[in-house]
Amino acid sequence: MRVHCLACLKGVFSSYVPLLPPSNLQAFFCWGVKPNIYFGLILQHCACSKSHFSESPPARKPFERNATSPLSDHKVTVTMSTVNESCGSEVVNVQFDNLGSAYTLHTVIGKGHKGASTIHLACHSGSSTQVAIKRVNLENWDQEYAYIQNEIVLTRQLQHEHILPHYCSFIHQHELWTVMPSMGFGSCRDLMQAFHTAGLPEIAIIYILRDVFKALVYLHSRGIIHRGVKASHVLISGSGLVCLTGLHNAFSTVTGGEKLHVVYDYPQHAVDCLQWFSPEILAQNLAGYDTKSDIYSMGIMACELANGQAPFADMPVTQMLLEKINGTKPMLADSSTCGEFIIDDNSMDEVDEEGRKRTPEEKANHIFFERTFSPQLHHLASLCLEKNSAQRPSACQMLEHQCFKSLRKKSTEVLPEAFHPVTPLTSLANVPKDSSVDEDLARHMSEVSMEVDWNF
Amino acid sequence: MPLFGTKTKSPQDLVKSLKDSLGQVAKEKGEKEAKKASEDVCKTLQSIKNMLYGTPEQEPQTEHVSQLAMEMYQSNMLLHLVQNLGKIEFEGRKDVVVIFNNLLRRQIGTRSPTVEYICMKSDILMELIRGYETHEIALNCGMMLRECCRYEALAKIMLYCPEFYKFFTYVEVSTFDIASDAFSTFKELITKHRALSAEFLEQNYDKFFTHYQQLLYSENYVTRRQALKLLGELLLDRHNFQTMTRYISSPDNLKLMMIMLREKSRNIQFEAFHVFKVFVANPNKPKAILDILLRNKEKLVEFLTKFHTDRSEDEQFNDEKAYLIKQIKELRPAAQDAADLKAEGGTS
Repeated sequence: MRVHCLACLKGVFSSYVPLLPPSNLQAFFCWGVKPNIYFGLILQHCACSKSHFSESPPARKPFERNATSPLSDHKVTVTMSTVNESCGSEVVNVQFDNLGSAYTLHTVIGKGHKGASTIHLACHSGSSTQVAIKRVNLENWDQEYAYIQNEIVLTRQLQHEHILPHYCSFIHQHELWTVMPSMGFGSCRDLMQAFHTAGLPEIAIIYILRDVFKALVYLHSRGIIHRGVKASHVLISGSGLVCLTGLHNAFSTVTGGEKLHVVYDYPQHAVDCLQWFSPEILAQNLAGYDTKSDIYSMGIMACELANGQAPFADMPVTQMLLEKINGTKPMLADSSTCGEFIIDDNSMDEVDEEGRKRTPEEKANHIFFERTFSPQLHHLASLCLEKNSAQRPSACQMLEHQCFKSLRKKSTEVLPEAFHPVTPLTSLANVPKDSSVDEDLARHMSEVSMEVDWNF
Repeated sequence: MPLFGTKTKSPQDLVKSLKDSLGQVAKEKGEKEAKKASEDVCKTLQSIKNMLYGTPEQEPQTEHVSQLAMEMYQSNMLLHLVQNLGKIEFEGRKDVVVIFNNLLRRQIGTRSPTVEYICMKSDILMELIRGYETHEIALNCGMMLRECCRYEALAKIMLYCPEFYKFFTYVEVSTFDIASDAFSTFKELITKHRALSAEFLEQNYDKFFTHYQQLLYSENYVTRRQALKLLGELLLDRHNFQTMTRYISSPDNLKLMMIMLREKSRNIQFEAFHVFKVFVANPNKPKAILDILLRNKEKLVEFLTKFHTDRSEDEQFNDEKAYLIKQIKELRPAAQDAADLKAEGGTS
């Protein structure tokens, strides 16, 4: 429908927005720091739904599309180097079809665009490859056609170990299907929702940040500003490979043979990314912004990964804007900072062992006294969150940060263990098959167009 | 000049080394040599890119840029690059696009030397259009083509070349990214320079619309919907008045739109409405058109009254719909026809 364009774009394209409802045990707290910082925090661990997770799968490394196939052909050849911890890397040739019937859809793992798009776990029948498929219903989506195109065309132009590739995309009936590698651990947001509700362990955070910075170095060197860095856009494969996705808001500064040094374009559809935006994007003034705004988003994401919830999550957008423009710096919540938190919470009456009601301060301490992030990680987050973009290092310089200096291993060797007890979803064996497509088709067929019959 | 590291190569040297290594890549020698040559190509392309766009440390120097452009023209480098695009590595291909587009917008006073150059070497454009046939380079070629579309002289060459009709196949390929990119280019070509495309459409009406009809009948939902939308835009553009008059006097076109009005997809119905309205609003309807409308008068009024009633906020749409209903209600057979009808006993 043409009319509700803006409204339906609200949840736009955030890949892998988790479908699992947040645990009913969680509570949102409001934390204030001098002068006025709020952290929304999800507290207790939920009973993690890991029953259907099993052994670890191969992770996908960047891939190359192979020699040309004739245009009318429905096959796209994709050469993937598959990293397998046990046997090193091997190259697998998979011919992905541009046909909906070549895939079996399984359970829904995410939704976006107010229901206009769904992400399914699926299986490519020809090669038995497990994939994820994003289906966008184009009937519920009209005005911004170029906007859907942007992500797909841009992603096709990128090849990087830490950027999620698209195998192929095609039109199936009135839907746009995009076939992607399936990522066993889901997004970082999923991980926090599944178990790590108060934040991920430091070792995981550092490895994730490093790999995302690598992806940003690649994007920035090609003049692309991501404008959507956040935990739900960082996916982790079953073997622990970190991939950045969510390029629908990305902006290319090299257009029409010119390179822009400053960008003024305001991402209209990024309502769900406001919290992560840098003050300069939000300010929308004559100073504009550049690739450094992604660095600020990295800082917000660092807090999000560490605290379990993004800063400013629980305040009205206008207040967040004010806080950011006034230079309020969010921080990682741990024993070194929790003394500064003031709790503003009426939602839950927690009772300690002696049956005495806990004071808000005690509640904060209870969770955070037990952990201490390294000073380096605090420093990193603080650098990223500098209000003045000139004071933020570039993605390239960030990789030289002390935090990353000591890292010797690949993220695949560290992450799966760090996420314990969450295990990746790797086998389709126990996952229910989705029959909604067949139903759709049936409905499609039986639908009688308006009864009038013209008399020619 | 950097204190350390190698001295930057001169524009002449860069183009020469690009030419050499590109020749190597094109020859397809042994694996090792091919790899070396391919790396060289990428490196040189990057240096050329930096010379044109500058780096964070250094702004581009006009002198170098103009020398570089001269060298590129003289060595016919743009054509070589486009011809060998498929053999250049992934990242190198993107650099080719960036270099091509930068050179294209070069201006000396009011002249655009690169545009003039390509006008003389129109092979470049044909190569680019054919690029859509190769998966790997389709999007790269698309980006260069759309940049070319901005210049009327180049758009004209593309519109009038036989390769233009290949777009009708390209926009229907199964790979969404390529099909939609080809459609963007196609649309740009046919709408960017209005006077030019109006003239083109008038002169090539039959050929163009025979091809266009296929898009409206396409099995691909997106092709059908986009083609219908673009058709509406073309017909309502003042420049295309002649084309529009011709289009709306064909009863077959009217029938197609009336069928489309009843498509399952609401979006297609809606786009069809915007074409259909032109047929009805035409004050000088040919007899064939009038007859069809008259035969379906009651059905049309009833249909339109129920048509997309939930679009209450869209004032323009509702006004147009009300206008159409009024027009259709007031339809009368032409005076002479009325007499004929009576004579025939109203059997037709």
